[in-house]
Amino acid sequence: MEKLQKFSPEKITSDLLPQKFGRRGMIWTTILVVICCIGAFAYIKQLREGLVVTNMGDYVSWGIYISNFVFFVAISLVGSLITAIFRLANVPWRTPLTRISEIIAVSAITFASLIIIVDMGRPERLVYLFTHGRIQSPIMWDVIVISTYFCISLLLLYITLLPDIKMMIAAKDKLGKPFSKLYRWLGTFWKGTAAQEKIRNKSITIICIVTIPVAFCIHTVTSWLFATTYRPGWDSTNFGAYFVSGAFLVGAGAVVVAMYVFRRVYKLEHYITEMHFDKMGKILVMLALLYLYFNVNEYLVPAFKMRKPEEAHLTGLFAGEFAPLFWFAILVGMIIPILIVVFPKGRKPNAMFVAGVMVVVGAWFKRYLIVTPTLLQPFLPKYDAPARYSHYFPSWEEWAITAGSLAGVLLIITFFARVFPIISIYKTITDQNETEQSS
Amino acid sequence: MKPNNHHKLFIIMLFLFGTAVSKINAQDSTASTTVLSVRYFLPENKIPYVDVSTKKKVGRKFEPVKGIPVNVYFSEAAEKNLLGKIITGIDGEGRVALPASFKATWDSLNEFKFVAVSDSSAGVESLSGDVTIKKAILVIDTTSTEGIRTVTAQLKEKNGNEWVAVKEIEMKLGIKRRLGNLTVGDAETYTSDSTGMASAEFKRDSMPGDEKGNLILVARVEDNDNYGNLVVEKSVPWGKSVQAETHFWHRTLWSTGNRAPLWLLFIAYSIVIGVWGTIIFLVLQIVKIKKLGATG
Repeated sequence: MEKLQKFSPEKITSDLLPQKFGRRGMIWTTILVVICCIGAFAYIKQLREGLVVTNMGDYVSWGIYISNFVFFVAISLVGSLITAIFRLANVPWRTPLTRISEIIAVSAITFASLIIIVDMGRPERLVYLFTHGRIQSPIMWDVIVISTYFCISLLLLYITLLPDIKMMIAAKDKLGKPFSKLYRWLGTFWKGTAAQEKIRNKSITIICIVTIPVAFCIHTVTSWLFATTYRPGWDSTNFGAYFVSGAFLVGAGAVVVAMYVFRRVYKLEHYITEMHFDKMGKILVMLALLYLYFNVNEYLVPAFKMRKPEEAHLTGLFAGEFAPLFWFAILVGMIIPILIVVFPKGRKPNAMFVAGVMVVVGAWFKRYLIVTPTLLQPFLPKYDAPARYSHYFPSWEEWAITAGSLAGVLLIITFFARVFPIISIYKTITDQNETEQSS
Repeated sequence: MKPNNHHKLFIIMLFLFGTAVSKINAQDSTASTTVLSVRYFLPENKIPYVDVSTKKKVGRKFEPVKGIPVNVYFSEAAEKNLLGKIITGIDGEGRVALPASFKATWDSLNEFKFVAVSDSSAGVESLSGDVTIKKAILVIDTTSTEGIRTVTAQLKEKNGNEWVAVKEIEMKLGIKRRLGNLTVGDAETYTSDSTGMASAEFKRDSMPGDEKGNLILVARVEDNDNYGNLVVEKSVPWGKSVQAETHFWHRTLWSTGNRAPLWLLFIAYSIVIGVWGTIIFLVLQIVKIKKLGATG
């Protein structure tokens, strides 16, 4: 395994400062903006005509929007995994991964909030949640915990950025004018004095301690939106742990994908090394096995009992309408990534990228399978309902808005990487100095 | 009997059995024609109404036929006598109340006829049905002597300008409960005597009533060939007062937002205050860093 090379602070700063978009960057950003615009157009259409443009109905009242919401909430959990847990556990190789995970968390939680408003149909009614909210409702808990997690993630991102902002202000000749005002507004007060550094370190530790329970809460509460409802497939006491383990897996998968892309695009091979992929690979295997274990519990136990109301739901998943999607999610989202990454060769960057993409794609479909099939199988018999109510396939508006939200998450990450260093310059230099001193 | 004759008898019996079974099966498998029936109701001696039902025999039981348009007439099927038009519902039934415009006609007659007609437009054959009714009222009363409570009911028919009690009419005397009527005494039905009076001793002591201990007594005449269906009720303070226990104003997980359980409020707000207090503390730390930067 390659070792971290030693570079001068100037070289590190030069390598890690944000770079202008090249031709590929412009094409990538344009594609994302176009997808976002199509999504915005579809949303305006939905605003004008109402939720009737979707294919949701009396039975599937939570469709692709809520599936997407659960996916975003899951992926946002990665901020707590990499930054908070690794920092509190003093994991020495975490530096190149922390900011990537923080921005993934912020962008995902932003769009998780937005997609809920999209699902409401009438955005102006959001205010009713606060004026007529019931603290007894898990939906209210979700609103509170998502806004809390958003603020904490934003604070964590900002406080860890402060020393880097100082460096970017100093490097204004190289970075040019476009964002100099923004840098000055954000961090001109940061001098790097011992007193400031002490407060910053204490604040980061406090945030990390607070982040972990809040992150667990965010996904546990999201799982309770389902588990507190008496329906086939959701009626489980295991749902909180099941959701949190799944969220850690998809978050880790997303970080692996982002690591690979930033490494290739910004040529960060000396900073995001094969060692990082190897370590993340081991974590990925552990998380995938854990999630697989919860899946076995969630499906095998009810299938063993096969109570009549659960039967239609489970047979629909195992051998019915949703079987291709179900086995795709299990195989592609868990089993194949485990088989790839469990071997040392599978923990090389290219293989890890493939495994990471599989985990993320599998996880998205897994969320769809958690939400939709259950809604199609209510405990009360369907009576006098149109045949189309027994099936659900999202309308083009739903697909466009969902694609727009996914593109929006990527766009936030892309713009962030254009404006701020995606790996902490200050921390990389500090780590190198500490390594030199200790050796 | 010779053995050969045994065979013949067996074959004959088998043939007869087979014929009978096939005939029964044939009856079961073929649906009969649709039947339109008319029933008359007079609740509380007030506004009468007519129920029509369409059904047909499928196998050995009657199945409702829904979506049949039926016109209901008073006396005879003529446009001026039209009481109303209905379409039978999912239970194969429909209801028409006597309109106010027919009050004068109603008051002038002591015997009347309701006619229901359905043409063949609904995809079934033309249907018709009628019922002839003698005008009558049902009266319920109670007496209480020496601790014995008695419920009485009388059916009176209109004879000329007089209301005359009718004898030997079978009726039910009951107490109204949530899911049906409980009989007042031991018998299921009571028959009016030579004075037209049906009476039953009230034996349901300590029966739970409403908040004031009121019970509702019900007298019914059901599907009488001459008088149709009549029902009257009377409230009596013979029950036990029951104060219904309500949790509506309690603090529960399913009540409105301002009645959340105190333990939930305590836990939820403790967490929110704890976490948001930390966030505010962190923002203040940033302000502190900013001040240090300004002075440094």
